[in-house]
Amino acid sequence: MLSALQLTRQFGSRTAVQNLSFEVRRGEVFGLLGPNGAGKTTTLRMLGGLIFPTSGTVSIDGTAVSPRNADALRARIGFLTETPGLWEQLSVADNVLTYARLFGVSRPHEAVEGMLRRFDLWDRRADRVVLLSKGMKQKLALARALVHDPRVILLDEPTANLDPQTSRAVRDLIIELRDRGRTILVSTHNLDEVERLASRVALISTRLIAIGEPRELRRELFGRRLRITVVSLDALVHAAAVATRCGATEVIAEDNSISMSLTDPDRDAPAIVAALVSAGIGVREAKDEDPPLEDVYLKLLDAGQQSNSRTVESMK
Amino acid sequence: MNRDRIAALIGKELREFRANPSAIAPVVLVILVCLALPFVVLVLIPHLTGESLAADPVLRKAVSFAALYVPSLAGLPPAAAAEAFLFQQFLLLFLVAPIVGAVSLAAYSVVGEKQGRTLEPLLTTPLTTVEMLLSKVLAAFLPSLVIEAVGLVIYLSLVGVFAAPGVLQAIFNMRTVLLVGGIGPFASLAALQATIAVSSRVSDPRSAQQIAVLLVLPLVLMLVGQVAGAFVITTTALALLMVAFAVTWIILLYLSVALFQRETILTSWK
Repeated sequence: MLSALQLTRQFGSRTAVQNLSFEVRRGEVFGLLGPNGAGKTTTLRMLGGLIFPTSGTVSIDGTAVSPRNADALRARIGFLTETPGLWEQLSVADNVLTYARLFGVSRPHEAVEGMLRRFDLWDRRADRVVLLSKGMKQKLALARALVHDPRVILLDEPTANLDPQTSRAVRDLIIELRDRGRTILVSTHNLDEVERLASRVALISTRLIAIGEPRELRRELFGRRLRITVVSLDALVHAAAVATRCGATEVIAEDNSISMSLTDPDRDAPAIVAALVSAGIGVREAKDEDPPLEDVYLKLLDAGQQSNSRTVESMK
Repeated sequence: MNRDRIAALIGKELREFRANPSAIAPVVLVILVCLALPFVVLVLIPHLTGESLAADPVLRKAVSFAALYVPSLAGLPPAAAAEAFLFQQFLLLFLVAPIVGAVSLAAYSVVGEKQGRTLEPLLTTPLTTVEMLLSKVLAAFLPSLVIEAVGLVIYLSLVGVFAAPGVLQAIFNMRTVLLVGGIGPFASLAALQATIAVSSRVSDPRSAQQIAVLLVLPLVLMLVGQVAGAFVITTTALALLMVAFAVTWIILLYLSVALFQRETILTSWK
């Protein structure tokens, strides 16, 4: 398990991260979201034992990371950094092999072969890295970060530069690692990726703005909404009126459907559908409506930044 | 310190040199100059001009002064003694050569990792700072040592072929062993360590290279002073000098570890 408790990191007078607390459980993929300059990279570096917090504690499997034990604890971590940082003049295999040895892998050649085959790089093992495409370099950086089969995995933009097919392969690998009990933190701007991978997310902008399951965050912000698609476009206005009469609020009619907010969808949705059918309106589909995670992200961020501004104003 | 990690990083550095042979070129070039220069001065020029080295009064005085401390010179005829004295002095070039050559490798080693953005991933491994800096120094040192050893064997072979009889035997003494086997390697290690220490604080390898000049300077002064007859460094003094360089290297190793600020490198260097 990986935990951050009240992490604060200052660089001179600038505060990069402030009072950040969360934990990533064993067998969990945790998403770290935030705009540029929000402190994501600083947070990852603190979690990876590369730099240390000004105050607060990072713990790995219950052991607090300190300058004294950081070298040893890094052996448990697989860290994909923001830039691949590969030795361009060395071969693909030599890049991974050097890391396997630095991490003390017992059978380094076998581990390298396994990783390179996993990422479809085995046929390119003798090629110098400088000859690889951006996507291949990203795959190689991933292979290098995972060659020692780490228990804690920190991934900074893991699918950057990857084509859709390879992105899916990487996501499948992350899910496989999660199922094998690895503790995984993914920092990314790719909200679709977080949606697919992470069971919980944290949104930060220097400090923690929100944390929870993506679905929970949606409901907190937007409530539960229902979308009903009707058969005939002519019945749309009538359908909206029926829904409003049945207690729906914020009813919006668009295309051939109506979207509405409900206090208790489990109770109200069947009643509204029944009322529509009774009114002679053909109902094609009724389903929970989830706003895109991007909307949630932007709304949370906006609220968080306004709160930050208020804090700064009150400090003045 | 973990030897496997040090070996892994040295192996990586050596593979990078192999992938880029031009990086080794300065060492080879300097050794070639060191090989050619003594024979031009001590064999070719006297042969072309017809003037014996022993005819030079300043040199004669320096040789007789040196013979007081180097018994093997005393038994040789004046011309051979002058040759043996000078061939031994030119051995000092073989101490300077690996420093001058390998410093460019060392100077680039940390700055190069920073410029190539390869340092941050490297710092995510369990590699400690002392292991990393020691590996960098040894990786720059080992190829230059091999090239120096090869150059030295060629040098002594050529002395055996071209110098007067007895000169080669006269050169083989404790002074030579201390110079080549002790002072040379430890002076190299100290110079490379100083270079690495600077390399981890700057963003331009040229800044790091300049520091090595400070360690080359005393060696050059040794050569000039002895050839001019100003002084003779005794075997005991050479042994002490070797110890001094070894201690300097160890101090510089720990100093470079103290100067290597992981956090500053990661967060401030762009």
